Amino acid sequence: MRKLLLVLGMSLVVFGLVAVAQTSVPETPGAKVGGTVTVGVGQTFIDLDPRVSNSVYDFYIIDAVFDDLVGLDQETLAPIPFVAKSWETAPDGSETTFYLNEGIKFHNGEDLTAEDVAYTFNWIVDPANGSPNATEYEWMQEAVVIDDYTMKIINKPEWTPYCPGIVSESAAIVPMDTCEEMGPEQFNLAPVGSGAYKFVEWVVSDHITLERNEDYWLVYPNLDKVVFRPIPNLATMMLELEAGGVDIADNIPAQDVPRFQADPNVVVQQMPSLSYFHIGFNHSHLPSSDVRFRKAVGMSIDLDAAVFSIFQGITGIRAYGVTPAALWANDREYLQANATEEDDAEAVRLFDELKAEGIIPEKFETTIYCPLDPRRVQLSTILATNLQENGINAQVQPLDWGPLLDLLYRSEADPLGEDFEIYVMGWSGGPDPDNFIYYLYTTENATIGTANNFSWYSNPEVDRLVKEAATVPGCDQATREALYVEAQRIAFIEDYCDVTGYHYIETQGVRARVNDYTLNALGDIEFCSPQCNVWVDG
Amino acid sequence: MFSYTVRRVLQLVLVLFGLTVLLFVLLKTMPGDPARIMAGLGATPESIEVIRQRLGLYDPLYVQYWRLISGLVNGNLKAMTYHKPVWTVIMERLPATAELGVAAVILALFVSIPAGLLSAIYRNSPVDYTVTTAALIGISIPVFWFALMLMLVFGVILHILPVSGRGATLFGWSFLTVDGLRHLIIPTVALSSVLMALNARLTRASMLEVMRQEYIDTARAKGLRERVVLIKHAFRNALAPVVTNIGLQVGTIFAGAVLTETTTAWPGIGRLIYDSILRRDQSVVFGLALFMAACYMVSYLFVDLLYAYIDPRITYD
Repeated sequence: MRKLLLVLGMSLVVFGLVAVAQTSVPETPGAKVGGTVTVGVGQTFIDLDPRVSNSVYDFYIIDAVFDDLVGLDQETLAPIPFVAKSWETAPDGSETTFYLNEGIKFHNGEDLTAEDVAYTFNWIVDPANGSPNATEYEWMQEAVVIDDYTMKIINKPEWTPYCPGIVSESAAIVPMDTCEEMGPEQFNLAPVGSGAYKFVEWVVSDHITLERNEDYWLVYPNLDKVVFRPIPNLATMMLELEAGGVDIADNIPAQDVPRFQADPNVVVQQMPSLSYFHIGFNHSHLPSSDVRFRKAVGMSIDLDAAVFSIFQGITGIRAYGVTPAALWANDREYLQANATEEDDAEAVRLFDELKAEGIIPEKFETTIYCPLDPRRVQLSTILATNLQENGINAQVQPLDWGPLLDLLYRSEADPLGEDFEIYVMGWSGGPDPDNFIYYLYTTENATIGTANNFSWYSNPEVDRLVKEAATVPGCDQATREALYVEAQRIAFIEDYCDVTGYHYIETQGVRARVNDYTLNALGDIEFCSPQCNVWVDG
Repeated sequence: MFSYTVRRVLQLVLVLFGLTVLLFVLLKTMPGDPARIMAGLGATPESIEVIRQRLGLYDPLYVQYWRLISGLVNGNLKAMTYHKPVWTVIMERLPATAELGVAAVILALFVSIPAGLLSAIYRNSPVDYTVTTAALIGISIPVFWFALMLMLVFGVILHILPVSGRGATLFGWSFLTVDGLRHLIIPTVALSSVLMALNARLTRASMLEVMRQEYIDTARAKGLRERVVLIKHAFRNALAPVVTNIGLQVGTIFAGAVLTETTTAWPGIGRLIYDSILRRDQSVVFGLALFMAACYMVSYLFVDLLYAYIDPRITYD
């Protein structure tokens, strides 16, 4: 599931004019016009309307068909001009005004104006529309049109300023009149954007075809066509990449990486992703609410060995805190130096102590819940085996998302989540630490029915630090970083709120004939943006 | 025969009705709130609530049941996630599975019946051993693995067939284009492998059974040529159980299609089942289960009627 891919980071929210550069695409010497690129993806597409889609696969299409208000620098993850050529934030951070490029047209010939941009944002935040992406805009009050090519976004007073970022990819700009005319369902089936490639056809479960937008405002797109093929079987996808049936394949398994690295026809691209996977605990009842229990569980597993066995040192690295290694404020060195490492003797001693105190009941049995994701199942299995060796009867129960969310979201009838102690889950976020720590470790996100903080971990000091970091006047990054670092040290070292697991490394296989294509940390597939214009040999 | 057919059709309707109730109860007792799954992680309570309202999940169960049934009957039951009516979604995928299923059955018949015949005629010979061994392998090898091996050999190593997908179509059918036909080969061979094996063994067993009958000896005693004895007297009588089995293989085809279509990225009913279960699209799962059950029952009925044609001794009235 796609969440919180915020693309306009904190550098936007400073006082005065920030971005004044003209939106442009760097020229690539030798680039050829023509040809088709075929992309293999792991799942079928669901929603092609950026306002309602929350699938990372849908956004492969959306990124090509729609333009975002701002772009994202693929190396620094900083915001760069796109539809907005510049923007300025009010001195108190209460609103940001965007100045749009003129002459941008949607694929149906309509002009892209400030009205379309404001409509896109306001539609998402309107509760009546039930957009699953509304959560990304909790801080936003409304978007207001100033003139044809100027609009502003006003923050809620309690989120002023809002440093983490104010625009998400889910707010790729849609044409207001067309959306209203077609209605959400029809728009989903035949989306109309202003992007470099136009939607042509969607043969469900077989392919989606896009073709060049001849009138694209930013640059002349190099490719004639882009075809997306859902291929649910990973082994089939690898065969297709090898045979040349697809030019780009995502999620290359670790065991296939060396094979493709040795293949002169394929280039393996890797990028540390903005993701975090962890072993979580239920903090609402004993024994998992006791820090000694959590530490004993953490001491039962050799995480270095576990992560290596899952990813073979290729497609994932161990996590020491919630903030991915690719992001600032990760405090990796300190957290690593102070991490609780495997110590079976101490784990057994702690378990025995808890048993003697009656905190771990006699004949205690626990189940480790996780989704049907092979990596998380593997981590859960390793943990369960280690716990068995240390005297705790543990078993693994992988669940489909439905029953798993029912369990972890809790209910009015079972607010303490009596049925679970340990789970393995994950999170993908945007280029700001707030996208991780706020959602997973603050009390505000521990609510029945929609919790992202499945543990219901609650520490008022962590809450305060995280809120303060998100609303630092002037959004000074050094100040914010210090606050996030402090919050993480409390959560992971003092409270030992959960066992940090791993960060995934995005890994794609790209046929050598594809040029000017670069994987970014968000795992996006971009063909023509302010930073690239993909072309093919032959 | 007419009254029998009418009786069977009425039975079919009753069974389908019972099935709708059973399916509805199963769907409603399945764990997991579809609205939550559709909204995704991190969704606001408001958005989940709007989705629940939109799906009518707060309506009384009998209202939800009636909406499903009436929607299916008048064809406007909306799929939860496909933005189209359920029947449209199913009918869009049906040609892909239909041509794959028919191609697999034809291929299976062309290979398995002669193989079964030869195996029976030359019993305990190298021909018989080869056929029975091949049939055993065909039954034992998982369809998805066999499909992967075909893709590896013909798609990656030899480069003579496309690895997966459906390729170009004409009027919605891929067998009408050269590209589509090439794409059809691997999934067809993979899906038919199980059918071939089953049919070959059945043909062999049936032929051996018939050839032991006294009327075969009589035919031979009359001086008929061996070819006539085998084809006209033995084979026609041995065909009845084989035909029955082919009719019953509709279920095997659907089950095999889930694996074959998922492995070979073939966009048919099998993939639709897989995708709809993952998406928790209850409407499509409901419609598909009913559709497949109806296909299964109709094929049973058809086989029973065909039986009477093949074997004149069988009458139903």
